[in-house]
Amino acid sequence: MTTASVTPVIQAQGLEKRFGRVHALAGLDLSVSAGEVHGFLGPNGAGKSTAIRILLGLARATGGTARVFGRDPWADAVALHRRLGYVPGDVTLWPNLTGGEAVDLLSRLRGGTADKAAYAARKKRLVEAFDFDPTKKGRAYSKGNRQKVALIAAFVTPAELLILDEPTSGLDPLMEAVFEGEVHRAAGEGSTVLLSSHILSEVEQLCDRVTIIRSGRTAETGTLEQLRHLTRTEIAFASEGMSPARLAAIPGAHDLTVTGGRVRFTADTDGLPAVLGALATLAVRGLTVAPPSLEELFLRHYGDRPAEGASPGAGIGTGTDAGHRPGDAAS
Amino acid sequence: MTALRILLGQRLRRDRLQLLFWIGGTALLALFAAVAVAQSYGDPVARDQILALAISSPAILVLRGLPQGGGLAAFVFFEIFTYLALLAGLMSTFLAVRHTRGDEESGRAELVEATPAARTLPTVATLVHGIGANLVLGLATAAALVLGGLELRGSFVTGAAVAATGIAFLGVGMLSAQFLRTSRGANGLSVALVGLAFVLRGFGDALGTPTGPLEMTSAWPSWLSPIGWGQQTSAYTSDTLIPLLLSLGLAGVCLAAVFALQSRRDSGASLVAERHGRADARPALSSAFGLAWRLQWGTILAWAAGGAAFGYLAGTLASLVQQAAGSDPAIVGTLESVAGAGGSLTQTLIGALFAFVGALAAACATQTVVRMRQEEAAGTAELLLSTPVSRGRWLAGYLVLGALAVLIVLAASALVAALGLLSAGEDAARIGDAFAAAAAQLPAALVYLGVTALLFVLVPRAAIAAGWSLVALGIVLGNFGGLLGLPQWLRDLSPFTHTPVVGGSADAGGVLWLSAIAVVAIGASVVLLRRRELGTA
Repeated sequence: MTTASVTPVIQAQGLEKRFGRVHALAGLDLSVSAGEVHGFLGPNGAGKSTAIRILLGLARATGGTARVFGRDPWADAVALHRRLGYVPGDVTLWPNLTGGEAVDLLSRLRGGTADKAAYAARKKRLVEAFDFDPTKKGRAYSKGNRQKVALIAAFVTPAELLILDEPTSGLDPLMEAVFEGEVHRAAGEGSTVLLSSHILSEVEQLCDRVTIIRSGRTAETGTLEQLRHLTRTEIAFASEGMSPARLAAIPGAHDLTVTGGRVRFTADTDGLPAVLGALATLAVRGLTVAPPSLEELFLRHYGDRPAEGASPGAGIGTGTDAGHRPGDAAS
Repeated sequence: MTALRILLGQRLRRDRLQLLFWIGGTALLALFAAVAVAQSYGDPVARDQILALAISSPAILVLRGLPQGGGLAAFVFFEIFTYLALLAGLMSTFLAVRHTRGDEESGRAELVEATPAARTLPTVATLVHGIGANLVLGLATAAALVLGGLELRGSFVTGAAVAATGIAFLGVGMLSAQFLRTSRGANGLSVALVGLAFVLRGFGDALGTPTGPLEMTSAWPSWLSPIGWGQQTSAYTSDTLIPLLLSLGLAGVCLAAVFALQSRRDSGASLVAERHGRADARPALSSAFGLAWRLQWGTILAWAAGGAAFGYLAGTLASLVQQAAGSDPAIVGTLESVAGAGGSLTQTLIGALFAFVGALAAACATQTVVRMRQEEAAGTAELLLSTPVSRGRWLAGYLVLGALAVLIVLAASALVAALGLLSAGEDAARIGDAFAAAAAQLPAALVYLGVTALLFVLVPRAAIAAGWSLVALGIVLGNFGGLLGLPQWLRDLSPFTHTPVVGGSADAGGVLWLSAIAVVAIGASVVLLRRRELGTA
């Protein structure tokens, strides 16, 4: 166990995967340490699922290295699979097996049913928590319910590593909350979690560190705090009584727009004290200061908004509406 | 009308290759039969002998048809019509289910039903599409028979009978699709009904009464079967189309029920409701093999039932022929020229029928293994292989199951054949023959097991089509090569050609080669799958 705590649980360097001429992965770096919940972000087609298939030893990398628990996932797939649980992005079930049977089958294969009574209790708890009917045939389940089968099977057997590929894309908000609770519980028991997602609030809620990938490459990686530092804080206040001349006095204001009775601009995190001072002298009303959300990080990498240096007051900003975000500071 | 045209165009486009194979294959079978009969039984005396033998031993009638005199064309109709009708029935039921329940199950139908096409129009389009396919099938069959040198009038009556049978089963297939929730279930039910039609006709003809030296009329069970109705047209002799009204009537009744039921039920729902199952798995469901068995045992038992049916035929037919032939040496001569000499007559007949059991076992092995590709494409294989199950172990589970399935099919047929022989008062040595004949089929069936597994590893996307094509090719070249007058080198390509004949000269070389190919293919598939990535759809 001492080696496990030193070497990262997942370590990928320069990972490449070509399908003919298509580069699904073109130099992915990913490092997940023991005990952390790691968000794996990227839009559809960025290569998240391909990377996960390589980490599971279902596909072979055409370049770079991948190590899980320090071992080659292609060569040592079976040994690694004893230590991990997996939820695929698109769960399909055996049409004539019931959901309960599928959970039992997967758990038995993973060796999680040795203590029958304990297993039955864990299964019962999860079936109830996810409000799941285990007696229906696989073909009769909706997408969300198929996902529940894979989630229950993943959580019912304790795993050192959980690889979850967009696990909540078919769940309703209530079930998402249950899912988040289960991830917290697993992490609390010492599991390492790799959570691929494009639901940003989920990642913000759960993850310690995040890797953002784009077109098969790592675009950004770090803790949420580190990533936030890279982006600007969004500030807005009522435009009543403001003139362009007065607004020009705000130091370090980027992408300043006046629309719908609100002045909006962004400011570098480092320059925030000076900006706040200027706002005090302007005696602004209805002030909101929003920390950079993951959504903005995301849009910074993928959105079509002009990258840097757009002139203040020019046109309509394509940034997102900062009005209803958790963590808004209103005055 | 525009919507109907679009839906029809989509069906044609989706089916264009599949229907080409069904229609082309059926027409080719008709053409080959016409040509081969003219070649092998050009002599009226030989035809008369065969018909006399058939009338004296009803089990032959089950596998052929209703004798209507010794004319060349009437003999062709006797030999091949039931099989043409069987193919038309299968083509039509698969077509019906594919475009109705199949689409509903996959959710595609919902997309279409949300457009102004609504719920009824897709069904109408399937009906028009199916009737069109059967009309083309009838015309192609008639044209093939004319090309084979048979009279125009009778050939078109045959074509009409084939088309009418197909249309009757189109209705049956569409009705099955209303009843069951899955296309698998609907296909299973309608294929069983096609099989029932074949068996009813077989019994009706076997129990028929001779009306002349070489003619018979059917007993009543034939009149319960669409295939029987087609046969009652007596093409090339009395050429009457009136029985086909029964086929069209059945189609009409089925379709009226289809539209009545569909207007009353929800989209995606079925008359037979889906049952709930166990919340916890049985202890057996705890390994890759356990899963493979659970997924396929029903299918394997169905193949075994088919094997048992052939075993029953072999058991009863052999003793019947023995009695008939005992009184007429001319029949013995004719029969040996057909089935191949060597050993006693009973042994020869058992061998000939067990060749079909071998084909069933090979088909069963193929179906067992191609399931892996279906699992891979669906994504369930990914779920399985993310647990501590290696790819090699996964494949091994299916290979063991495939081998077991082959043994089950062969054992079922041998057992039933032995019981048939015993009840007919044959001595115990004949029972040994039945088991030897079944065992002789093992190497060829295992070749199919290994080769299909290798196809799955090397060309996953093409594996299902290629696997089944090889089975069909092997049966045509090996089991029908003689009847079709194909050259020996072509027949030698089929594994079934090298199956040893019980009581004949031992073909040890063939057994060795088949076993070697099977072992190498199985070994190579296990080794190569370890190096292959898991694919997706």
